[in-house]
Amino acid sequence: MRMTPPDSAGTTTIVPRVETRPDGATTWMRSFEPAMLLWLLLIAILAFLVLSPMLRLVFASFEDRVTGAFTLANYAEAYGRPRYVQALFNSLALGASVAVIATLFAVPIAWAISRTDMPAKGFIRMVVLGAFIMPPYLGAVAWMLLAGPNSGWLNRIWIGLTGAETGLFNIYSFTGLAFVIAVYSYPYIFVFTNAALDLVSSEMEDAANILGAGTWRTTLNITLPLVFPAILGGIIVVFLEAISLFGTPALLALPARFNVVTTQLWQFFEFPVKVETAAAYSMPLLFITIGLFGLQKLILARKGFVALTGKGGERRLIRLGPWRWVMFAYCMFIGALSVFGPVIVLAQAAFARAWGRGFSWANLTLRNFEYLLFEHDSARQSIVNSFTYAGATAFIAIGLALCIAYIVNRRLVPWGGVLAFMCMAPFVIPGIVLAIGFYAAYAPPPLALSGTATIMILAFATRFLPIAYANSAAGIRSINPEMEEAVRILGGGRLLAIRRVVAPLLKKSLVGGWILVFIPATRELSAAIFLAGPHNRVMSVLLYDLSEEGNFEVLSAFGGLLLVATLIVVAIGFRAIGRDFMLRGN
Amino acid sequence: MRRHLSALLLAMILLAPGVAVAQLSANEQKLYEGAKKEGEITWYSAHSAADVLELIGRGFEAKYPGLKVNVVRATAQVAFQRLSQDLKANSAQCDVFSSTDVGHYVYLKQNKLLAKYVPENARKIFPAYQNLDPDGFYHITSAGLVLITYNTAKVSAAEAPKKWTDLLDPKWRNQVSLGHPGFSGYVGTWAVLMKQLYGWDYFKKLEANKPQIGRSINDTVTMLNAGERSVAAGPAETTIRSAQKGNPLAVVYPEDGTLLMYAPSAIMANSKRPNGAKLFMEFLMGVEYSQIIVEQYGEPMRPEVKLPPELKPIDQIKTLRPTVDEIVNGVPEVKELWRDTFGV
Repeated sequence: MRMTPPDSAGTTTIVPRVETRPDGATTWMRSFEPAMLLWLLLIAILAFLVLSPMLRLVFASFEDRVTGAFTLANYAEAYGRPRYVQALFNSLALGASVAVIATLFAVPIAWAISRTDMPAKGFIRMVVLGAFIMPPYLGAVAWMLLAGPNSGWLNRIWIGLTGAETGLFNIYSFTGLAFVIAVYSYPYIFVFTNAALDLVSSEMEDAANILGAGTWRTTLNITLPLVFPAILGGIIVVFLEAISLFGTPALLALPARFNVVTTQLWQFFEFPVKVETAAAYSMPLLFITIGLFGLQKLILARKGFVALTGKGGERRLIRLGPWRWVMFAYCMFIGALSVFGPVIVLAQAAFARAWGRGFSWANLTLRNFEYLLFEHDSARQSIVNSFTYAGATAFIAIGLALCIAYIVNRRLVPWGGVLAFMCMAPFVIPGIVLAIGFYAAYAPPPLALSGTATIMILAFATRFLPIAYANSAAGIRSINPEMEEAVRILGGGRLLAIRRVVAPLLKKSLVGGWILVFIPATRELSAAIFLAGPHNRVMSVLLYDLSEEGNFEVLSAFGGLLLVATLIVVAIGFRAIGRDFMLRGN
Repeated sequence: MRRHLSALLLAMILLAPGVAVAQLSANEQKLYEGAKKEGEITWYSAHSAADVLELIGRGFEAKYPGLKVNVVRATAQVAFQRLSQDLKANSAQCDVFSSTDVGHYVYLKQNKLLAKYVPENARKIFPAYQNLDPDGFYHITSAGLVLITYNTAKVSAAEAPKKWTDLLDPKWRNQVSLGHPGFSGYVGTWAVLMKQLYGWDYFKKLEANKPQIGRSINDTVTMLNAGERSVAAGPAETTIRSAQKGNPLAVVYPEDGTLLMYAPSAIMANSKRPNGAKLFMEFLMGVEYSQIIVEQYGEPMRPEVKLPPELKPIDQIKTLRPTVDEIVNGVPEVKELWRDTFGV
């Protein structure tokens, strides 16, 4: 088992289950043991992290701002204008468009790396990892420079080559926005799909070949449908990411003259702040999440995906012949869109004294890096903070998710589906709203976590719990309970079974999950911006501050530092643990 | 490097035996003694970039050895939201509150959440900045200018717009860059001023030129530098700082008036460190503070400070400044109008 995607069996545990087995409760009572206390503790933690801030949000949406009395006025205000409702539809359209584009980016790359003899696979994995590490906000800034209608490099090249009057691309458009978000979220679909493809044996493809189907037909009719649950899982994550992102739409949608849910939400935080209206306005996001998981269940319900047993089966690479170079070119093209192009424009600014003057020797300098590394008050500290917090976040999220996934999957408590849903729900709560919930719940005494690293780590852990959970749930599902039962028959407790059987089997999957939480945690912006205190600013917040200051040379240099530092940390992580999930060769 | 050297220099001068003590007035001395017993003060501020605020905090600590200031930098709305949460939870975190939105102060004063204090230094700042609140609850401690900015590689000084109405000329079609009043208090106040001068029609005509709408007023600096747009309603400070590095930027003080944007500071009524907070307010209106600001191409509060050649003294510019009421009532209105006219 490597990075395990959510498979068909998993989807049933994500959705709240309404039917309970008649003997469920009694079985549960009979199997009571000391370890149950630990489970209860975990549930309490989940209540603390997810339920309490979320309930606060739901209650707030029905509260009068001044009196706190019950009211529906917030909903009337949140949906009382066509403009507000339009933003909601824009977000849905955006999410769907991003999902389509990201799928077109990710699935061919995943297929080529997993199933074919395409060259330079290790390098392509690196490129995908690079796209994943790039903060979407930074990528969007770079794309403004690449495809701005008047000044974008691509447009200037196009005008230079063809003598056309106007440029070819306009990044300030709905398509432009969907494209830029997709360029930095497709790695989610890649990871899920690639892992699933690695598990499909060649037998069924062979069968199709024997019956006369060619490579393409086999891929489209056999291979890809087999991993459809994994692709769908990735698509849902990307869809949710697209509708809850704030930075990129703020940069691109405003000049394009349209609003999405997150930029609209921002307006409710203008003075006088209408948290209650914002809460009411965020409710559809929660229903959309529930709806998506329902849809996923519906789509996958009546089909079997037995190839995902993880058992046996020979795997051979498909020989593509000359097409291997076509696939390679496609991967490099996606790499150019997500990494090479943006990094080049950012590098130009990062090494420039005055980036508005363009390329010239006189304009080259290392000054921006020197300033950030040796003179800036918080740049170095913010890098250290980011990695420490992201690391802690990943441990907490994975630890918690694993335990919950275990409880849910092994049906140790009734209503496991509700727990699973609670783990998935934070994904669609916009970061700023989640942060408000956290601040309201835990900044005042008795906890008094205001401005501490703890409140940031807890908020991050909550925000990325869904990713950790999707990963852990799939991992747990892949382990046959019989192995644990063997331990228990021989007299071992459940904790021993977990320590000696489950944990070692899950190791690789957990490392992958850890990285999947760690990276987004280093790029998280919207919650961090609200929770960061003076001594615990993180890289993303500093990046945002620099962009507000209009100091583009230093902003780009810092973006470069951020990318390099993250790459180094991730590489060290891989080396230390001995495994990785994206750089692994076959 | 320069700013650090100067901070160091400042610290050395101030730390020189006898000098610091000699400079303190009786009131200052009393506050200083009191503040030493209170511990670290906390300053929520949206007034400058984080590193400038840190410099200010250090300048304060250098002037008053033994005192510490905890700088919490946030944008105005985030800072206010935090403050509201603190107040709701009855936890007095913030001692001095510095927002760029005057509306915050009107609200806080109405709800008796501010402490009245008129610093000694309040009558030593430029007259244009004095007496914002006649009752003395909040005071201007930071100012900036909104003026016409342009890309010198694309537009010559002769061609550049000279007054705000020049931006309506069809020759600037697809060339104008703006911020957004929903994201920037500067842009909101600027829109209020334009509406006062020319009516909302100004923006309807401007829309015919298809301006590009960003967020922060500083986005205009990026757009001009990139060459995406060639003229803008932009900020003096950031534009001049970027031009100083060699970027192709220049500013025009419009004939029909430069917007003087001001941002107040106030002491919270629930502050547990009143001496430290008062001393900090004195500092924000003192010479050392203005010196730090000027080195970052900001507008000084005090006339004593020598300006770099790139900046024009405030009393030589035709500035316009809407009143507190005009801003508080006007900004929400122009935001709505803005969304109707520009669609976002």
